[in-house]
Amino acid sequence: MTLTETVEEGMFQTENPIHELNRMLVRYDLTPNQSKVYLFLSKIGIKTASEISKALKIPRTETYHLLSTLQQKGIIFSVFGKPTKFNAVGLDESLEILLNNERNRISELEAGKESLIKLWNIIPKYGEDDEESQDNKFQSLQGRNSILVKLEQMIKESKENILVLGTDADFKRFYFTEFTELLDKTKSELKILTDHKADMPNIFENIEAKKVKKIEDKSREDFCFIIKDDSEVIFFISNNKVKDMLAVWTDSKAFVTTLRSLFSLMWKKSHHLNETDAESLLGSEITYEHRLREIEQEKMILSYLQDNFKILEKGEKKK
Amino acid sequence: MSKTDKTKQKEEMKSLEILIIDDNEQITKMLTTFLELKDHKCTVANDGKEGLSLIKKSRHDVILLDLAMPEFDGYSVIKDLEENNALKNHKIIVFTASTITQEELDELVKRGVTSYILKPIDIDVLLSKLVETANQ
Repeated sequence: MTLTETVEEGMFQTENPIHELNRMLVRYDLTPNQSKVYLFLSKIGIKTASEISKALKIPRTETYHLLSTLQQKGIIFSVFGKPTKFNAVGLDESLEILLNNERNRISELEAGKESLIKLWNIIPKYGEDDEESQDNKFQSLQGRNSILVKLEQMIKESKENILVLGTDADFKRFYFTEFTELLDKTKSELKILTDHKADMPNIFENIEAKKVKKIEDKSREDFCFIIKDDSEVIFFISNNKVKDMLAVWTDSKAFVTTLRSLFSLMWKKSHHLNETDAESLLGSEITYEHRLREIEQEKMILSYLQDNFKILEKGEKKK
Repeated sequence: MSKTDKTKQKEEMKSLEILIIDDNEQITKMLTTFLELKDHKCTVANDGKEGLSLIKKSRHDVILLDLAMPEFDGYSVIKDLEENNALKNHKIIVFTASTITQEELDELVKRGVTSYILKPIDIDVLLSKLVETANQ
């Protein structure tokens, strides 16, 4: 084995940034082997299929297949000659190409959605609708994407209120998604209970301050759920890793009501992010001056009532 | 006593159905005691949401509405009624201790609120205002 071969092989066998890149590229709709081949060509430069196969220890037939797919995707190209050699398009350009491919795929899927639904509606439905609607439905959601799709659907469909409870760490998994943008745009009444500090960057920083409160009770930090219109809830069971995120969606009235009550209690006990201790004692939007006027009003009614009772008492004594 | 004076007196004597929406429980309790002493009937809501549901559920001769309440405040009550074209169907007196400008108060009246009272107010004046508004 030559020195170059040792280096080439080592790139994909020891722990190095290539592994991380490999994992990341898989998210751009590449298989692990496609990603390996692409990164190999990007770093090493022009190579024949046979050289690639040998360096990456991928069977030659599969290597040809991988090269053909990558060429179709537009991120590698062949150099004419005998034997044919291959080279990769730069990473920047490749990512843009892969993103465009995904965008086009989504546009095609969107275009096909209507005809798919039309076709579906042609088929008559068998089974009892009523029975299904009365049941408490539970849906298990695994992985960030499936949870995110459900969350976005809930927020978009909400007409009354959205209640969000969880730590900043819980929601950090939704950075760079539409989640917070949708929350920000919702016309429903929004309430967020979280643990973040007002002076630290956080996922809810664009949300109006009066809609966000701090979780005061440390023991509640394990909870994370989102309630829509008092009728549906998603609660998280495992939050450890993006890939392993597990949540349950349900429209069970018992579940929703219980979590709703818990949320209301905690909301009542908590105060807004920028609130000072004094404001917290007096009530968030109520100023000191406001409170004084209220006390003055209380005094006025009380003094009237005391005077009247005195008169009543005197009258009774006279009798 | 003229006929007009008699009618006026009768109106003033009439027992009113008053809805008080205020998060200050001291005020609502004492005000209820005072108004009941004057033979009026009071219903109390200590937050805007409950108040709105009571407004929608039953008829009241006059509604005393605080503006600054946690969560669902008096403005939200007004907005909801306005959106349902129901604001002008009720006699609402805004009863507030908030720092609010005359322009803002006029704007509320323009939108359909019947009148306003700024806290603190003499309790007899408050009562006359309630009776006057209910009989408008």
